[in-house]
Amino acid sequence: MNSFKKKINRQLSWLLCCLLICCFLHSSIVAQDGGNKTVSGIITNQKGEPLSKVTVLERGTKNGTTTNDQGRFIITLKFTNPVLRISMLNFVETDVTVGAQTNLSVIMKESTSIMEDVVVVGYGGVKKSDLTGSVVSVKSKELMAYPSANVVQALQGRAAGVLVQSNNGNPGGSFNIKIRGGTSINASSNPIFVVDGFVGAILPPADDIESMEILKDASATAIYGSRGANGVILITTKRGKAGKGRIEINSSYSSQEEINRLPLLNGPQFTEYIKEINPAYVGGSVNTDWQDLIFKKGKIQNTQLSFSGGTDAVRYYVSGALYDQQGIITNSSYKRFSITSNIDFTATNWLKVGLNLFARSAKTLGVRTQENTGGSGSTGVVAGAFKFGPDQPLFRPDGSYSLAVIGDPHDNPYAVANELQNETIGSLYQYNFYADATLIKNLKFKTTFGAFSNNERTGEFTPTTLNAGRNVGGDASINNEIRTSYINENFLTYANTFAKNHKLTILGGFSYQKFVNEDFSARSQSFLSNSVSFRNLAGGSVPLPGNSSLSESQLSSFYSRANYNFSDKYLLTVNARYDGSSNFSKNNKWAFFPSAALAWNMKNEAFMGNVRSINSFKWRFSYGLTGNQAISPYQTLARFSSVFSIVNNLPVNAVRPTTIANEELKWETTAQQNIGVDIGFLNNRLSFTADYYKSVTSDLLFPVPLPQYSGYSTQIKNIGKIENKGFEFVLGSKNIVGAFQWNTDFNISFNRNKVLELPNGNDIIYANAPGHMVGIANSAQVLRVGQPIGSFFGWVYEGVYQQGATFTPGAGFEQAAGGEQFRDISGKKDASGKPLNEPDGILNNDDRTIVGNPNPDFIWGLNNDFNFKNFDLNVFVQGSQGNDMLSYTLLELETLSGINNTTTESFKRWTPSNTNTNVPRLFTGRPQRVSSRWIFDGSYARIKNISLGYTLRKDVVSRLKMQQLRFYVSAQNIATFTNYRGYDPEVNYRISNLNAGVDYASYPNAKSYTVGLNIAF
Amino acid sequence: MRKILFPILTLFAMLTIVSCTKLLEEKPIGLLAPEGFYKTKKDVESAIFGAYGVLASEPLFGRQFVCALMFRSDMVDIGNRGTSAERIQMNDFNLDANNNMVRAFWPSWYQVIAAVNSAEAGAKTLGLSEAEINPLIAEAKFVRAMSYYHLVRNFGDIPYVDIFVSNPENIKSIAKTKESEVYQLIIKDLEFAKQWLPDTYASDVRSRPTKATAAAYLASLYLTIADYAKSYTEAKWVIDKKATYNYELETNYQDLFKADLADNLKEIIFSVDFKAKLFVGNQNDDLVAPMVGIRNTPQNGFGVCVPALKVFTSWNASDYRRFVSFDDSTLNAAGLKIGYTAFPNEKRPHIAKWRRFPGNANVDGRYSDYNYHDMRYAEVLLIAAEALAETSGPTQEAIDYINLVRTRARNWPGNPTGFPANLALAGLDKQQLIDTILEERRIELSFEWKRWYDIKRRRLGDTVFKGPNSLEPQPNFTASRDYLMPIPQTEIERNPNLKPQNPGY
Repeated sequence: MNSFKKKINRQLSWLLCCLLICCFLHSSIVAQDGGNKTVSGIITNQKGEPLSKVTVLERGTKNGTTTNDQGRFIITLKFTNPVLRISMLNFVETDVTVGAQTNLSVIMKESTSIMEDVVVVGYGGVKKSDLTGSVVSVKSKELMAYPSANVVQALQGRAAGVLVQSNNGNPGGSFNIKIRGGTSINASSNPIFVVDGFVGAILPPADDIESMEILKDASATAIYGSRGANGVILITTKRGKAGKGRIEINSSYSSQEEINRLPLLNGPQFTEYIKEINPAYVGGSVNTDWQDLIFKKGKIQNTQLSFSGGTDAVRYYVSGALYDQQGIITNSSYKRFSITSNIDFTATNWLKVGLNLFARSAKTLGVRTQENTGGSGSTGVVAGAFKFGPDQPLFRPDGSYSLAVIGDPHDNPYAVANELQNETIGSLYQYNFYADATLIKNLKFKTTFGAFSNNERTGEFTPTTLNAGRNVGGDASINNEIRTSYINENFLTYANTFAKNHKLTILGGFSYQKFVNEDFSARSQSFLSNSVSFRNLAGGSVPLPGNSSLSESQLSSFYSRANYNFSDKYLLTVNARYDGSSNFSKNNKWAFFPSAALAWNMKNEAFMGNVRSINSFKWRFSYGLTGNQAISPYQTLARFSSVFSIVNNLPVNAVRPTTIANEELKWETTAQQNIGVDIGFLNNRLSFTADYYKSVTSDLLFPVPLPQYSGYSTQIKNIGKIENKGFEFVLGSKNIVGAFQWNTDFNISFNRNKVLELPNGNDIIYANAPGHMVGIANSAQVLRVGQPIGSFFGWVYEGVYQQGATFTPGAGFEQAAGGEQFRDISGKKDASGKPLNEPDGILNNDDRTIVGNPNPDFIWGLNNDFNFKNFDLNVFVQGSQGNDMLSYTLLELETLSGINNTTTESFKRWTPSNTNTNVPRLFTGRPQRVSSRWIFDGSYARIKNISLGYTLRKDVVSRLKMQQLRFYVSAQNIATFTNYRGYDPEVNYRISNLNAGVDYASYPNAKSYTVGLNIAF
Repeated sequence: MRKILFPILTLFAMLTIVSCTKLLEEKPIGLLAPEGFYKTKKDVESAIFGAYGVLASEPLFGRQFVCALMFRSDMVDIGNRGTSAERIQMNDFNLDANNNMVRAFWPSWYQVIAAVNSAEAGAKTLGLSEAEINPLIAEAKFVRAMSYYHLVRNFGDIPYVDIFVSNPENIKSIAKTKESEVYQLIIKDLEFAKQWLPDTYASDVRSRPTKATAAAYLASLYLTIADYAKSYTEAKWVIDKKATYNYELETNYQDLFKADLADNLKEIIFSVDFKAKLFVGNQNDDLVAPMVGIRNTPQNGFGVCVPALKVFTSWNASDYRRFVSFDDSTLNAAGLKIGYTAFPNEKRPHIAKWRRFPGNANVDGRYSDYNYHDMRYAEVLLIAAEALAETSGPTQEAIDYINLVRTRARNWPGNPTGFPANLALAGLDKQQLIDTILEERRIELSFEWKRWYDIKRRRLGDTVFKGPNSLEPQPNFTASRDYLMPIPQTEIERNPNLKPQNPGY
């Protein structure tokens, strides 16, 4: 670091010398024009602090200078009656008539108008007032409000129309984002990330991000063509500014605990419960709280150190960030260290070049949660803690871990948490070079070349202390995945103003990107000792077949955009992108994605000129097409897969057909329209944005289930249409200004989603249930025309049968008092065999119906900032309303078939003496069945963050030779308001566009208490 | 000028990079495309081997299918009733159309069929002479026949596909083929197989079919459809040619269930070959041993497939086959022998056939070296006896076949036994003889997934599940429903032409 800094310093001084020589030559030329008066002055901001680097220009000439670090300038003037134009970014430009003065004192006003911010859009930036699309900016301050392992987490609740959900609560876990609903059913709904122009790049930590721009409508996203349908998130990392070097330290420490627990039976209660069905059961003599044993206090340490600064010729931003999280479950952690380095050079007067570097190493220790199959060899920690008999001890008398005595012989959850080893080590290198050349006046050319390589190694070891390991003498595997991408972008930008009122910007370019995924793995069993772990696979006497694979894809694109601005009143944007992807079938590799948008700055019309209370008023309209790649490489090709087969007791080469070709596969295309309005009132103290959008995605790619007698299970096809439409409102208000400040930001979005078209109009029934819940049998959710995606599908629970009731017959359905009662809905057929949708007196699959909708009615975020003197207080609340949840956790615990522990809800169960209840009797033969009994209202409001900060007074700070010093204490997720009976409404089991609102055995989210400080030198 | 050159050079450099790769064409490395796959006989063979790989997987002979057949019978009950409901449904005749055991093995059977359909189609494109290629086509047809034979017995009318599916639209809306028609199609394939299969393979492996394998399955099939004359003819054909095919009853009954010996047994006519401790996903993964193993003992079993106590107590203790079939005691963690009444969970003798000698397996017996026999010579003898009894009543020939099996059973090394005594012709009427043979099959082939098929073809359900001498009473057994399993609901949803569902579901 030191030598690097020296090098930079050397270069800086060298460039500074060059610059001074230039200035000298320049000014000597100017001086020859004959000045007659020298004026000096000081320029300050409204607080009286001197401003450096302010441009001071004698109006009508090229004669100018800039202020020094003390805010002072000297200028020799040419004209006799000179006017100085004083300008600087983020300040209101002012003209000062010099008159007879020789020593000026100028106070510059900060430009408060939010409309003047420059917003980053694809391949460029525009002033917010010139924006025609629906774009939200989230700034560094919001992103850094609380420590986050992944910056996506920090977006939650911050932007209208953006739904962020955690996939699992584990340290280092990933997040799922949906912008304006899911536009696809097969592909991920995640938007494409663009980091400093690098499409598909990996995100740097929140600390190094200046802003995130979320592009939502086709006007903004169509320039990303085939990857724009889910929205685009542009990330701008922090960069150095010319001026005095700045050193910043941001550091915080958080203590964490699990957000909630489930009320389970204790040892004696459990014994009594099991005895009801098995009187011979001899309960254990202990009372073990398994939740107590697996949960612990977690902590997060987050520290970032950055250096930034530079000269006009070279600007630098160099930052190192360390994030170290110990999870709230034993043996789970995430640690990452990253370096971000952004250097910009002004090489010549027409050429700027720069280099962004991002390197990261991360280590994750995982525990098994959200298990897909919970057989006795793969017990998960969280589900295990819920299910395992509380009457059982941690260890058996012989010192080994106890196993379940009820149901399958599961390992106890404490054993799984402590013994199973799972370690992932990732190293990432990402770099992006750019050169920006002004070719001729108004015409610029920019080329970028970027690449990343992300290498992840996962080692796993199941020792003999666990079931799965005991059976094989220890099981070790190691898996390596290398993801690489190369990107090259080249584009020309032409910008000019014609006849004063016609501003035109035209952009055109070409890009090529390649993705390579390579992985390999090895596995071996039967080791002499558990101490070997996965570090010596050759030490296993039973090697298993190794594995390797390669997948490559390419994307080639042409794109163009034109922006036309007439009189700052009428704005037109036209986008087009022509994308070709290798993933698609040979007949449909290329597709065209156009969009057009119009904005009307109504405020700039003469008739609005007198409306003082309104500062800005803009209408936006857009329509366009975007796409979704939605499939991975080689999916259009038919395929044979190898089969592990034994003949004559030896493995032989063997294959079977596994994939069917589809040569007609097309891109998914989303047609989106957007109408929006942005209004600023009362000197922009109040700002309001409203958007209405409607998007229809057609040619949906979906692995259509085939009848399995074909020998295949699915075939990818373009099958149908879905629609998302909704409203978004954003309100920003400076409620109180002055010494005491109170700002409120509120956003709320209403998305409605439905399936418009499916092949032959048939339902597609599916499930994403844990594999061991065999009763679910792939039937828990449905795609049905006219209904929202992911609707829950099952029987309607009608409570319990009472003694003497008429039992509805049906294979697999209970016919006894205390049994689960379901509604007979359908099944009756007319003479020709057509269903009449009338009850037929028999319970069977015909009686399933839609029993819930996982899509929220609306989501919202409310942020309040208070400032008083040196104190700042932030309260951020976020919520979701009207979404249903299907809880496999409760289904498993409360099916009440006596195969695992249950919740205290079981106290309400039906017995001959307790008949007034909704909870059925204990019955061993009851299958796990998706019904309305397991559908819950998942609405919640959560206090995401409360933070109180104190910034030391300027004079105190400068005595400490600092620029800023702020302490804060904060708390995250401390209160949740919900009726959901599971432990957390904000969890998702294997989330995808088809699968939302499902809860099973997730790593719980954490409550955190944080202390931190920010220092700047 | 420099300024203009700059973008031109950049573009030029980029185009050079791009033109090096043939743009946007997919060239998967390491993936196998069906087009042009079949070039030699070896390729055809590898697709047939693909079918064997699916047979030897967890959904079929590794667990689901064979355990389902065991549960259906009166010989195997649920041990641990805390096990998955799918198994309890299967055992207790409470199946519904979403049962996961069915949903596991149904697609796997059809994957076996798809693999050999592809092999057959591929073989026909090679342009080889009949003599060269027909043995492989015959092998493909045999595997298809054997698969449909299992399917038709469990499901009755089924979708029947015998072409390579490259466009699913072609078969998406087919209707079911009638049970009787499916049997005829199986016979056609088996006859082709009998004509063209070889007499033997390298190392005399028994996991690939020979002419005699096809004949043995024909014998079994004709017995099922009560065409006893043809059944006898085929069985007799196998018996007469046993020297050619190197068939012989093993002298020690136990040897049939010793994994280490599994590859060298002369009695085996067709078995599914598993190799110990190797697997890829569910392929070559067998869990029969853990399913039958004793829970919470060093066997580390799941204790799921456990016979009702009466199966054990009603079985003559002098029968060596009872000794081979059952573990009525085990060693506990301390190394002390405990009787079944002291077993920690299911206090009944557990199945030993698939647990006692798993070879080089996991501790719980998973990934064993067992080969799972689908047809062995003893069964052919009993088929011959039963078919002959049906066509000709009691004859010495039939009695002799039974006595061959009984003689072998009496060979209890170190513990000579007179049980079971030879059967005598005198005083035996036809029905008694048939009942005796069925009983002999129950004992001889116990826990080898034959019993349920016997119950079904002889319509014994009401007797064995509801009768006074029931070994495993199942009051829920309903003859009008339970001789067939439901076709998976998802199949009917994907192709409504498969309606109607089997009766009662």
